[in-house]
Amino acid sequence: MSTRFAMAIDLRRCVGCQTCTAACKSANATPPGVQWRRVLDIEDGRFPDVSRTFLPVACMHCANPPCMHVCPTTATKQREDGLVTIDYDLCIGCSNCIMACPYDARSIEHTPHYAYGEPMQSETARFDPDRLSVATKCTFCKDRLDLAAVTGQTPGVDPEVTPACVNSCISGAMHFGDVNDPDSNISMLLGGTQHFRMHEELGTDPSVYYIWDGAKNGADA
Amino acid sequence: MSAAKNVKRVPTLCYNCVSGPDFMKVKVEDGIATEIEPNFDAQDVHPAHGRVCVKAYGLVQKTYNPNRILTPMKRTNPKKGRDEDPLFAPISWDEALDIVAARLKSIRAKGQVDESGLPRLAVSFGHGGTPANYMGSFPAFLAAWGPIDYSFGSGQGVKCVHSEHLYGEFWHRAFTVAADTPNTRYIISLGANVEVTGGPCAVTRHADARVRGYKRVHVEPHLSITGACSAEWVPIRPKTDPAFLFALIHVLLHEHGLAKLDIAFLRDRTASPYLVGPDGLYLRDFVSGKPLAWDEATGQAVAFDTPGIVLAVDGRYRVAKAATVDADAARCEYSNVEGATAYRMLVDHVARYTPEWAAGICDVPAATIRRIAGEYLEAASIGATIEIDGKTLAFRPVAVTLGKSVNNGWGAFECCWSRTVLAALVGALESPGGTLGTTVRVNRPQDNRHLSVKPGEDGFMAQHFNPTGSNSWRPVPETRNLHSTLVPIVGRNGGWSQALGPTQLAWMFQENTPADWTMPKPTYPEMWIVYRSNPSISFWESRRLVDAAARFPFMVAFAYTVDETNYMADLLLPEASDLESTQVIRMGATKYMEQFWDCHGVVLRQAAVAPQGEARDFTWITTELAKRTGLLPEYIAALNRGIAGVSALKGKDYDYSLDPATPPEPDQIWDSVCRAATMTLSDGKEEHGLDWYKEHGFYAVPTSRLEWYLTPTMEKQGLRYELPYQERLLRIGRELGNRLHEQKMHWWDEQLSEYVALPVWDNVPARWERELVNSGARIEDFPFWLLTTKSMQYHAGGNAAIAMMHEISENVRGNTGVIINADTAAELGIAEGDRVEVRSHVGATYGKASLTQGMRPDTLVIVGQFDHWATPFAKDTERASLNTIAPMSLELTDATGSGADIVRVAVRRMARGAA
Amino acid sequence: MNKSRNIGDRTLPRQQRNWDGRAAANFICGGAGGGLLLATALASGRGADLRPLLVVALALVGIGLLAVWLEIGRPWRALNVYLNAATSWMTREAMIAPLLFASGAVAILFNWPAAFWVAGLLGLVYVYCQACMLHANKGIPAWRHASCIGVVVTTDMVEGAGLLCVAALVWPGLVFFGILLAALLAVRWLAWRKYLASLRNAGVPTATSQVLNALDVRFVWLGHAAPAALGLVGGLAGLPLLAMLAGILAAAAGGWFKYTLVCRAAFTQGFALPRTPSRGQSKAGLGVQPGWNRVRPI
Repeated sequence: MSTRFAMAIDLRRCVGCQTCTAACKSANATPPGVQWRRVLDIEDGRFPDVSRTFLPVACMHCANPPCMHVCPTTATKQREDGLVTIDYDLCIGCSNCIMACPYDARSIEHTPHYAYGEPMQSETARFDPDRLSVATKCTFCKDRLDLAAVTGQTPGVDPEVTPACVNSCISGAMHFGDVNDPDSNISMLLGGTQHFRMHEELGTDPSVYYIWDGAKNGADA
Repeated sequence: MSAAKNVKRVPTLCYNCVSGPDFMKVKVEDGIATEIEPNFDAQDVHPAHGRVCVKAYGLVQKTYNPNRILTPMKRTNPKKGRDEDPLFAPISWDEALDIVAARLKSIRAKGQVDESGLPRLAVSFGHGGTPANYMGSFPAFLAAWGPIDYSFGSGQGVKCVHSEHLYGEFWHRAFTVAADTPNTRYIISLGANVEVTGGPCAVTRHADARVRGYKRVHVEPHLSITGACSAEWVPIRPKTDPAFLFALIHVLLHEHGLAKLDIAFLRDRTASPYLVGPDGLYLRDFVSGKPLAWDEATGQAVAFDTPGIVLAVDGRYRVAKAATVDADAARCEYSNVEGATAYRMLVDHVARYTPEWAAGICDVPAATIRRIAGEYLEAASIGATIEIDGKTLAFRPVAVTLGKSVNNGWGAFECCWSRTVLAALVGALESPGGTLGTTVRVNRPQDNRHLSVKPGEDGFMAQHFNPTGSNSWRPVPETRNLHSTLVPIVGRNGGWSQALGPTQLAWMFQENTPADWTMPKPTYPEMWIVYRSNPSISFWESRRLVDAAARFPFMVAFAYTVDETNYMADLLLPEASDLESTQVIRMGATKYMEQFWDCHGVVLRQAAVAPQGEARDFTWITTELAKRTGLLPEYIAALNRGIAGVSALKGKDYDYSLDPATPPEPDQIWDSVCRAATMTLSDGKEEHGLDWYKEHGFYAVPTSRLEWYLTPTMEKQGLRYELPYQERLLRIGRELGNRLHEQKMHWWDEQLSEYVALPVWDNVPARWERELVNSGARIEDFPFWLLTTKSMQYHAGGNAAIAMMHEISENVRGNTGVIINADTAAELGIAEGDRVEVRSHVGATYGKASLTQGMRPDTLVIVGQFDHWATPFAKDTERASLNTIAPMSLELTDATGSGADIVRVAVRRMARGAA
Repeated sequence: MNKSRNIGDRTLPRQQRNWDGRAAANFICGGAGGGLLLATALASGRGADLRPLLVVALALVGIGLLAVWLEIGRPWRALNVYLNAATSWMTREAMIAPLLFASGAVAILFNWPAAFWVAGLLGLVYVYCQACMLHANKGIPAWRHASCIGVVVTTDMVEGAGLLCVAALVWPGLVFFGILLAALLAVRWLAWRKYLASLRNAGVPTATSQVLNALDVRFVWLGHAAPAALGLVGGLAGLPLLAMLAGILAAAAGGWFKYTLVCRAAFTQGFALPRTPSRGQSKAGLGVQPGWNRVRPI
């Protein structure tokens, strides 16, 4: 069976620290205000029966991606391994994909912005004009994943070929791997826990699983 | 964008907050730092598997921040004040260093201590000792100098977990206290927001524990991050935690009873069997003076350490002959006197602290308190054992952890005592799974708390209180916060003891001393050096502190950017920052928070990039100062002793000592430090220099997990924890009172009330209400409690000026302003995002309302410490701060000199821009 | 993502901002233009030279496309829009546009009835493509119901008939299309009710239903009842002024509806948790979907 890369996020562990938010910005040099990954802070209930959940969100790399269907230029494509990609050179910045995505995963910036007004050296070094005025989003750090084919390492196991956010997570909430491989770390984890995918009823078939409890029979993963 | 030609990943560390050090790598492309990543080379040695928290990802922006001070600056406006632009002008390093050296030399010529007996040189560092990890060899210069006044605090010591530091070390060598998270099953956490402040090590461990199925009950007025990540949230009324804890003790003692507790631990490891006489003091052997206990085998009172006895834990017994020793060795002799065991005294003492009583005070249902006590007892698994490194130890997987505002300020002594007693009652004190201390700072050696355990009097550990005897107490303070004079428990361990004194008194007494002050008047320090500290933001009544700092004669600030404190500086010196400089520090073994590892060693912080502008490595600056001040030999001698390093530079198998006559280059110093450290750690088998560390990053050797637990060490030495009865503290308090009264001073009398053998509930919140009324305000004008809380993005990182931290912190509820209960806000006509004023009897602060259900209706919370007016970037984000409006007050200072971040306030909606 | 400082805004459905007035102009003008093409085709072949109406219709479509071209991030790559006919309704809309202009131009130049009809039918296909574009955007709950296609297409037809009625001031013979306008308004009213019902049944962000509910009464009375009555009376009695008023009301209401749909009721999906996580020994909680008027998330 072909590879399908997926992410599992254990909501029992997440503490909303935004380390993955920062790691993604660090790895991908996103401009101020753009967060390809971010962690939401969601409260529910009434005092004193209140819950507060921390929810990391980004592109879900859906198997049935509405963004790809609406894209007029084929800039948004889907790879064999499940990654939904954007070819910045084809994109015309029509924002149709932003409307189509039910996960608010995409953004488009028309003018360069810098943290302190004028660019710092670190920003100049990484500024990419190809990313202006086109749609951008989480790529599952595809350059790192593609490196695995060269080095023979395993995404989700070897950090060099694993998305930066997963590497950075200090609570151990984030996991990554081939969900079509029953022996992969992520498959084993999902097999031993209860999880949901967001907005499944919309038929997007997302590749991010949110763990909310251990296995039904009480055996922990 | 063309691909970088030269890419390297430089291993280094982050230790910006007390929960470090944590590992990271800096990606450098063509000489520019671009990314931060974990360092997975350390994943097997580091409890957080080589990861670093969100703050460290801001270090690239920190390096290239255009608002940095990048050249030495001299003040050209002689006037100082919030409204006086310093008009800093750039000068050369030569000129700057000569100015500093000239000033230092003139101080030496006059005498390092002035007419009031106070050091002329004052130095202030920030957050919990962490600046020591960034100041290179500067500690060696300070050691070479002589007397220094470290007592002008920026909040550390008093806003820190202050009472826990001092009483924790006293009871179980626990400068900080943690649960044995990898092994524990039940935690009662009172405001210990460890998911925010505990760093990657704590976050990892508690996440593992959650998945493992432990239960944590989090008791706090608002639903903090840790509250959210706990199994249960108990929204307690602010500052009523002692009542809650007393009630838990009551339930264990009165509703469950001794038979269900860890009798062996109480009998053998605590002072529970010691007999207390009618005067509240231990009944002592007439001849030896040892505390008496009741031997059940012979039916007699005997010295507690008599061999072969079976001590009674509970009961009242008739003692034929005994003596008691009070303050100032006042001896009283008794015959046919009744003594109650300390345990019995405790039982009787908490009889009135029922859950029903506590419910009214804490606003927590009695049934909840009762249930939690029962769950704690059951989870303690008394009788269970565990094998650790081949030794069988008692396994007691329960802990009580405390956070700020609970373990500092009035009421903190009660809470620290209660928590430790709760651990002792079930044998969980310093046992696997239980409540552990992690390091010492008042006792020595600082890197091994076990070695700091030595037999002292009465079967307890030797303690090093500052003397309070009539011939030994020092009536003339050595420092401006009077630490050795006023607070015996801080001991005599140099800068640490000073920083743990009442640092707000140093500020307050510069303006006014109490009416019955009979000691020499406090003087201004002739020179004040500040590094990694912004007291004008991080201390209370910040506007007042700004004015105080403006009156100091001469301030040298190692400056990152202009800030609210160095706005009053005469000189700004730009040291090379986190990613630009070199230093070697210890890692592992057991250290603050949950940094207890299975190994120990050393780790290098190295320059990933060249310093920006004219910033210079702190070690270079220090060596220049030593040279120019004429202290080079003493400085090098200190380095050779191992100060600012890890081990002495000369040992039995090696000699890497530096030549006292030649100023060393920074790399030379660190190369010697690296070699000496490696030789020491490897018992002479391995030697690695700076170049090896630049490549590998760290060196570690295994540590036994037995190092985590102090009880086996206590057992080996036959020592007892000084609990539950605080007879020594009672006597010391009386002695201190005698000394102060002999000097005709009574202004510390209220603080003396904390020196009791068994803590009482003394309406803690009312102290804050009384202070308000005593200041001339009306309590009904300030109906809410204001607390503060931390965020990981800002916790101690000095990140207020970092744009990325600002951006991502706003994903977390509350970081944009003043957190208020949604229903309370509705009653006041306040909507989400409205600008509000939070006013105390001291002042006002402004921010945006953030509405939540996770908050008591009578409480507000402001995140972090902001309200900047000088720091670039930060000053343009209107963020409120409790510090602006919390008073610096003697009345609100407890016996150890700590205070708490809490104040009564009013809140109302404001128009944008109105004040 | 929402960059608001209000934490709720970051988790709640937010009004999309990427398609602003310029994108709305495409749906408003393009829809009205396409509808007018079809209406003109219907009205052609009865003697009057209605070619100026074709010019107006093509101009409207052109204004809409120009507005979109001014909005996209990379306008000079605009021709890439043709690359995904397989699945993208935006591509298909772009493919129809030149055919529509060509047939319209032929009709204007040569006045061939067949060309009128080709242009008119292409106008219908064009507005259908636009409606399907909205429908394909799964990220906006207000758009992704099939009933949205119906209400948008019928609105475009209403606008076309409305503009035709306005033209009765120049060509009085068109006054009878007031009756057609009234009939189309009845159909559109049914489509509107069906649309609202499907939103209610499926659930929708609370903010969306607030905006649409606020629109409803005025839309029904000023956008349906009034123009239908005016159009019917005007058409039956042969009063061009009434027909014109009906047409103005109908066209304006249609435009306002589409602007509301695109720029004021277009809240994003937001986030949903079917369960909140267990933390240690706590039980996992029930679900939460901030900003939706559902008791439980699906």
